[in-house]
Amino acid sequence: MTTALAPVRSPIALDGPPDPDLIRIRDLVYQVAGIFHPDSKLRLLQDRCGRRMKELKTLTFREYFEHLTIRPTRQTELVALLNEITIGETYFFRNQPQLDALQQIVIPKIIEAKSKLPLKRMRIWSAGCSTGEEPYTLSMVLLEESQRRLKGWTVEILATDLNERSLAHSKSAIYGNYSTRHLTAYYRQKYFTPNGEQLEVQQSVRNQIAFSRLNLSDDARMTFMKGLDVIFCCNVLIYFDLASKRRVIQHFFNNLLPHGYLFLGHSESLYGVNDDFRLVHLPGTTAYVKGERVQAGKQAL
Amino acid sequence: MTAASSKASLLSRIEDLRHIPTIPAVLGPLLRYLELPAEQLDVQKVTDMIAQDKSLAAQCLQMANSPLFGRWQKVDSLRAAIVGLGIQRVRDIALSCGVLNIIPGETQGIDPVVFWEHSLGVALVCRHFARKISYPDPGKAYLAGLLHDLGIIVNLWMLPKEFRGAYDLARNEGIPLHEAEQSRLGFTHCESGRLLANRWELASDLREVVSFHHSPPCSHEHASLIALVEISDLLCRMSGLNHGFIEKREVNLLEETSFNVLAEQCPGEKEFDWARLTFELDSYMDEVHALVHAIYRK
Repeated sequence: MTTALAPVRSPIALDGPPDPDLIRIRDLVYQVAGIFHPDSKLRLLQDRCGRRMKELKTLTFREYFEHLTIRPTRQTELVALLNEITIGETYFFRNQPQLDALQQIVIPKIIEAKSKLPLKRMRIWSAGCSTGEEPYTLSMVLLEESQRRLKGWTVEILATDLNERSLAHSKSAIYGNYSTRHLTAYYRQKYFTPNGEQLEVQQSVRNQIAFSRLNLSDDARMTFMKGLDVIFCCNVLIYFDLASKRRVIQHFFNNLLPHGYLFLGHSESLYGVNDDFRLVHLPGTTAYVKGERVQAGKQAL
Repeated sequence: MTAASSKASLLSRIEDLRHIPTIPAVLGPLLRYLELPAEQLDVQKVTDMIAQDKSLAAQCLQMANSPLFGRWQKVDSLRAAIVGLGIQRVRDIALSCGVLNIIPGETQGIDPVVFWEHSLGVALVCRHFARKISYPDPGKAYLAGLLHDLGIIVNLWMLPKEFRGAYDLARNEGIPLHEAEQSRLGFTHCESGRLLANRWELASDLREVVSFHHSPPCSHEHASLIALVEISDLLCRMSGLNHGFIEKREVNLLEETSFNVLAEQCPGEKEFDWARLTFELDSYMDEVHALVHAIYRK
């Protein structure tokens, strides 16, 4: 045991106590967008605000907080900040604990829940799939399971986005270094074909996915999304105001089968948005399940 | 050997607690002194007591400089740390360092550091959670979290081979450690922890936490403290501050008995933002790893 005073490398430590106005911005972003930056990620938030502040020639977090709250352009500025926050969030295997939980816990539970049904079909929806990395990742994970737990099952992945350009990119299925940086050699070799300097997703992975354009605020079309086992909606709702967010979440609730799961983005929460979904803890991640699962008698809580 | 006689023989080995260390010499008097009302405490006396144990003093300073204890500017003397942090924090830090120094010799290849990382994590989550739900004594919650798994160290120390069997079962199956202990040893670390807690003459609420944090707490005198520890323990085990392996399961806090106990006794808990608490755990995770590794750096 050492008696010398070795400095502790502190992952949290900024250069001093966090700026109270940065904390106010953190809380505002959580309140408005449902995305939370724990102390260990404050530096990240600081950098992202910094980029916007440079643009606006703003020198202090206090002044920037005013840009986000009382200036006439506050809505635009908030969207600009959220864009900075989610930038670079789209890549293959983005949230490994979420994928592990899907494979090890969620899929077995769905299989069990559907064990009495004649039709062995699993439907997963990537809502707000952006340029396609998420649905392709899900497709690869489910293909891995197709020789194990999901043998004999039909898997359908619905992938929707509002943006035509993102959908076109998804359908082209060709990706550069940034998107593929977390791909292991195993997945790279098994499911991708080199295409110049880029990688192209193989047909087997594409076959399970149906891409289409959908606006999550389009109530009429949202009611048609039925019989879903799992919905992934990562970093999408953060751009919605509370009323729209509530409507979308209510749709998700209705779209999901009774045993269904809703996954949001990393550090994204439904607190204050919806009381019907229940937060559950899975190893290293969280998800939401439908409230009926809570046994009668405990619902009073 | 029948299961019952095997359990009895294992427990009798544990009861021979002569080989279990006592708390480092200076800690007993220090903790008794720190129980006095704050206005009666003399900072110089506290400094002198901690300074008697050089290793403890160095570790206290390391902890005092961690943002986990609210310190953002470097302190380089014990006195500055005590003045800057206050007696409550010093008490948390001194006990943490004392407890972290208890490391069994023979561990059958299990790294005991993961248990202390878990314990420190649970202590921090308990303290944070206690404040959020207006639990009256966050300091006590911290101590309870820190000490709740004492029995694991007892098992690791006294029954290394048998405990290794239980640990491997838990890790391979992805089940909670206490369930694996129950199936392999016939009892859990709660039972062995109780023996050590009695020997150390810990306060009755801490003894209850050590003994009952895996059983429904409703009937006990300190039910809300036990419930608070049980929930914090669960949250840590479902995150990276686990026992060194992943428990493959889904936890719905609303279905936990402890949740009901807390909801009855701490009204603030009903509206509690569990998602945010879970995200905040991320910060603790990195910091706890860094701190515990710094303390154990040879």
